[in-house]
Amino acid sequence: MSEYVKEITQADFEAEVAKSSLPVILDFFSTECPPCEALAPKFDAVAEQFAGKARFLKIFRQGNKDLASRLGVTGSPTLLFFKGGAEQGERMSGEEIKRTAIKAQIESLLGA
Amino acid sequence: MAERYDVIIVGAGPAGLSAAIYAARARLKTLVLDESVPGGQMKTTHKVSNYPGFPEDVKGADLAKAFSMQAERFGAKVRRAIEITAHDLTGPLKTFELDEEEHVEAPAVIVATGAKPRELGVPGESKYRGRGISYCATCDGAYFDGKEIHVIGGGNSAVEESLFLTQFAKKVTIVHQFDHFQAEPVSAAEALAHPKIEVIWNSEPRAFLGENQLEKLRIEDVKTKEVRELATDGVFVFVGYVPRTDLVKGLVKMNEWGYVETGEDMSTNVPGVYVAGDIRSKRFRQITTAVADGTIAALAVQKFVKDQQRVAA
Repeated sequence: MSEYVKEITQADFEAEVAKSSLPVILDFFSTECPPCEALAPKFDAVAEQFAGKARFLKIFRQGNKDLASRLGVTGSPTLLFFKGGAEQGERMSGEEIKRTAIKAQIESLLGA
Repeated sequence: MAERYDVIIVGAGPAGLSAAIYAARARLKTLVLDESVPGGQMKTTHKVSNYPGFPEDVKGADLAKAFSMQAERFGAKVRRAIEITAHDLTGPLKTFELDEEEHVEAPAVIVATGAKPRELGVPGESKYRGRGISYCATCDGAYFDGKEIHVIGGGNSAVEESLFLTQFAKKVTIVHQFDHFQAEPVSAAEALAHPKIEVIWNSEPRAFLGENQLEKLRIEDVKTKEVRELATDGVFVFVGYVPRTDLVKGLVKMNEWGYVETGEDMSTNVPGVYVAGDIRSKRFRQITTAVADGTIAALAVQKFVKDQQRVAA
């Protein structure tokens, strides 16, 4: 995992996501999930690119079932975008997540 | 400056990786590009029982790793999580821009981008994707521990993945449009006898409903036209595949369903552009047939590249 990505647990959600002053991109991942493996290097690359402008967090779904179910996340990987503590924009899910699509959504988040 | 290869293979599924094994062993400088990790559809198949050479079932993900390691052993470069951000396959040199920053080129390309799960095209499907609707049992099965779920489809994938999902779910109800499974008889019989699996025949999904998350599935009995809503914790969709042809759309000849037409040597109507695997117009799509296509494409490319070099010399 890149130094620009931090792994959190559901106990950190309030402090790390809800109260973050920067926009947050949260990645729910699982083990035995090839699409999650595929997303990881793209997520790392985008995180490095937006270092200082947005925060990139990942959370292990199996260990954080309550938060996943509270947010209605039922698939891995799923990317959620937060600004000012509120979820914004479309979630991205599954194998087809493109690096350029993540970038575009963050740019619109930063611009808005 | 673009890095030059003898052949660039797009897609690291069984077709692309078999092509890579043959190309690399023929000492062609070989690059394989994949937007995900190697394995194609094989890597999310929980078990493979019909690939020769494995007397016991093998996990699709393990088979995928083995294919990839074998290609790399002979010197093929297999690049993961790469997005092709621009490309031109029309000229004698095929060029690719990768992740908006790198450039690679080769006189020959093998497009083995395969197929992706077909979406149902039913209202609510995109809204609840990842919020109750899934297309990958190995990825998302564990989310449904102790839950009651539905599977749409009745082919090999639908039936075999339903069996896999019984490890987690309390109950799996298969909704199928016909009155019998298209799956192989061995798995079909196993599913029919399974205590956790129920089947609703002759029925098609019509809508996905819920507040923030999927809660109900609306289905219609195609014979009686009766429509009803079923409470559900999640729906897995396995209703076939569509070819992934973004790279060659408008360039090569395709059949009416969007699959690429090839000669017996996997060549297309564009010189230097070959295709292999599920993207190709053919009758049967299996790991074994993808492997055969990849082999043939790589052998044909060897000859093509040698001929090109002879002309240039």
